[in-house]
Amino acid sequence: MKVRIGFEIHEQLATRTKLFCRSPADYRDAEPNTNVCEVCLGMPGAKPMGVNAEAVEGVIAIALMLNCELVREPVYILRKHYDYPDLPSGYQRTSMPIGKNGELAGVGIWEVHLEEDPGKYDPVTGRVDYNRSGVPLVEIVTAPDITSPEEARNFMRELVKVLHYSGRVRREGGTMRVDVNVSIEDGARVEIKNINSIKGLYRALKFEITRQKNLRRRGKAVKRETRAYIEEQMITKSMRTKETAEDYRYIPDPDLPPLRITEELVERVRSELPEAPHQKLQRFMQQYRISRDDAWAITSEPEMADAFEQVCGQVEPGRAAAFFRHIIKKTLNYHGMSFAESGLTVRDILAVLGAISSGRLSQQAAELVLREVVERGAEAEELIQRLSKLDEQSLASAVEQAIRENPGAVQDYRSGRREAINYLVGQVMRITRGRADAEKALEMLQERLS
Amino acid sequence: MSRQALGEAEENLARRFEEIERRDREINSFIELNPHAQEEARRAEKLGGRLAGMTVAVKSNINVRGLRATCASKTLENYVAPYDAVVVERLRREGAVILGMTNMDEFACGSSGESSYFGPTENPSAKGRIPGGSSSGSAAAVAAGFADAALGSDTGGSIRNPASHCGVVGVKPTYGLVPRHGLIDLAMSLDQIGPIARDVRTAALLLEVIAGSSREASMLDVEPQPYSQRLSADLSGIKVGFAKEYEEVTSPEILGVVKRALRRLEAQGAELVEVELPNLEKALPTYYLIVFVEFFSATRRYDGRRYGYRIEEVCGEEVLRRIMLGSYISQKEYAGRYYRRALQFRSLIRRELLQALEEVDVLAGPTTPKLPHRLGERLTPLEMYAYDLLTVPANLAGIPAGVVPAGRVNGIPVGLQVQAKPLQEQVMLNVMLAAEGRA
Ligand SMILES: [Zn+2]
Repeated sequence: MKVRIGFEIHEQLATRTKLFCRSPADYRDAEPNTNVCEVCLGMPGAKPMGVNAEAVEGVIAIALMLNCELVREPVYILRKHYDYPDLPSGYQRTSMPIGKNGELAGVGIWEVHLEEDPGKYDPVTGRVDYNRSGVPLVEIVTAPDITSPEEARNFMRELVKVLHYSGRVRREGGTMRVDVNVSIEDGARVEIKNINSIKGLYRALKFEITRQKNLRRRGKAVKRETRAYIEEQMITKSMRTKETAEDYRYIPDPDLPPLRITEELVERVRSELPEAPHQKLQRFMQQYRISRDDAWAITSEPEMADAFEQVCGQVEPGRAAAFFRHIIKKTLNYHGMSFAESGLTVRDILAVLGAISSGRLSQQAAELVLREVVERGAEAEELIQRLSKLDEQSLASAVEQAIRENPGAVQDYRSGRREAINYLVGQVMRITRGRADAEKALEMLQERLS
Repeated sequence: MSRQALGEAEENLARRFEEIERRDREINSFIELNPHAQEEARRAEKLGGRLAGMTVAVKSNINVRGLRATCASKTLENYVAPYDAVVVERLRREGAVILGMTNMDEFACGSSGESSYFGPTENPSAKGRIPGGSSSGSAAAVAAGFADAALGSDTGGSIRNPASHCGVVGVKPTYGLVPRHGLIDLAMSLDQIGPIARDVRTAALLLEVIAGSSREASMLDVEPQPYSQRLSADLSGIKVGFAKEYEEVTSPEILGVVKRALRRLEAQGAELVEVELPNLEKALPTYYLIVFVEFFSATRRYDGRRYGYRIEEVCGEEVLRRIMLGSYISQKEYAGRYYRRALQFRSLIRRELLQALEEVDVLAGPTTPKLPHRLGERLTPLEMYAYDLLTVPANLAGIPAGVVPAGRVNGIPVGLQVQAKPLQEQVMLNVMLAAEGRA
């Protein structure tokens, strides 16, 4: 059965101020309801200031990176009316499309809009925090070109990468919201709301497709409806019909003159556009003569790619690439972090690479240093001092200790079970907390036990 | 009145408060007085400024920090403004003293001053009659001598209509000339704040203080002009247009006063020209459709969560009617039939007015088609809406329009309305000055 999946993706734009006022757009460290003014609180009489130019440019940049045509007609800002506690004026402002007819990874991009974020309502306490109210969002609407949860996941990864590459969206994470529509074999379209991660998206789709297929197998029709994704249970659940049959009574906001997306503005944004992920990948392969897999891993994040290029100024690119792809990626995966979140600096990376090549740091110790930096924000150079390889004498005494403490293994080795020596090497590594050169320790043990 | 000499501000204020104390029980022009007025008067005296010591009453739909901006509705009965409207900031900067918050039609939805939750306002210049609306209290307070001047708001005549009925001067500026930030919405694409005063010179002075660009999105990017210094009643070379359609809709006694005023303008050097406004009568339905939709949108924030009451549960019948109609006609299935068509008619009316104004410098004519009715007399909604027939075109077109007392009929004041091209407030004020006859 043919599955058709389309998305509506919302992500916060990384502007200095909110969309229609000058309250800061970054509210993360603010106490609830302190990052506000009469405009973003929708107080009686408050009027929007001019649309934040930085936000408009951000949407243009993203639209261009998604290969969209930019709209040349006046772009009206509409009021979308609905009643919810997080909406201080009873309507949300959303622009008509700024970009149209784009494409990414074989999926059509129908529209790219500018929109304002509402506040945050906690139904448990009944409290509303308006710190987020009025923060600019980019809204991306795709064609229903996706046919499986796996494809959906890959597409979203690609899209998120492009958004990060644009440099126009918030990188703190947790602000993306996705509405998904799914239909099977021209059945009714079901919309799923409340998805905020790629993992959630994948699970919601898995569940929803199974649900729809089961219905059809039992000869029942799929209802056209809106469902919510319940993260904790990994299921989708029908929302009350009242919420879905809503008429938003769209009108152009009388307080806001339409936006003009001029040729001049588009050209300026285009000229400042950062390299797209696939362009960077190609360039890395050619310029640094590294493999496609290396380049793919390194360009998975713009921050990592930038760091790689800086490291290549001082280190042979092949070596740097191997280090990035194997050691750094491994550390990041272990911590479930992005490069941007990890706090790793070019300085840290150069210090570790330098210590490895001068023989002061073993491969294992290098990983340990990276872990400490990521986990505790430690200084790499300081750690390297501490973890530098042992001199002959300390290694010798560690070898002695290992022999003393493990008479059984020594016995085994001497009686012909040669592999027992690996256990003793491990013990030397443990005693030296990874600072020993494993190869040297092996040599020394063999000599001592012969 | 011009600026107060040092030391006089407090005295002026005390006199005004005395008058209010003595007579406003009967007129009911204020909802709330400013408890800090005296202190502010003292500060204003020290500070000076173009309005030093001038007492200004403010319509209750304009935010004045610390005072209640109730919109004369139970909905906002307890809403204490947490910020100053931009116009109020500008008044304060020039030394004006805010007297208090004036009565009005609830949420500015009315043309008589009778629909306030705080009771109707009396017309001080024609006792027993309505003062007009919706800036009823502001016009009445000025007419009664309670305030040197007042701020009103005008969406379809709400400054000009009560100015005409109360015999004072009122100005609705070009849309986008005066910041609206702080003005509680009736219909955002039509609303403008403007001055009400006893004479043209004071109105001009107030206008030059409150006008000029701000950070608000819908503002024109213009510098304020020193209107009061450039006032001149010499109208030589000025063409004054009169539309023959005015005659078809206006009562004969009002037309009589208006015609006499036009002859005075002629005597000051103006040339009278007849113009045509064939779509004049389309303006009213167009206007009301737009108001309903925009007002519906503007009132969604009064959902009972933040300001105490849900508007639909506590408002008066005219406010409720407009919300219901707005909700009805903005439904998806009707949007094309009503709202979008209204916007098309709006363009037509704007074009027609601007075309007429290409042949002349100003249009001069009646303000309302009929005299103010007696307080308490029941009118149907359509009869009430008909008061706005001659004032709404200026709002639809975004052009400036002012009213100046032109004479009386049986003791009831009648105002002459003067309309001009966008941002041509100066020539409009000059013609008003000439009509006022005390240059
Ligand atoms: Zn704000």
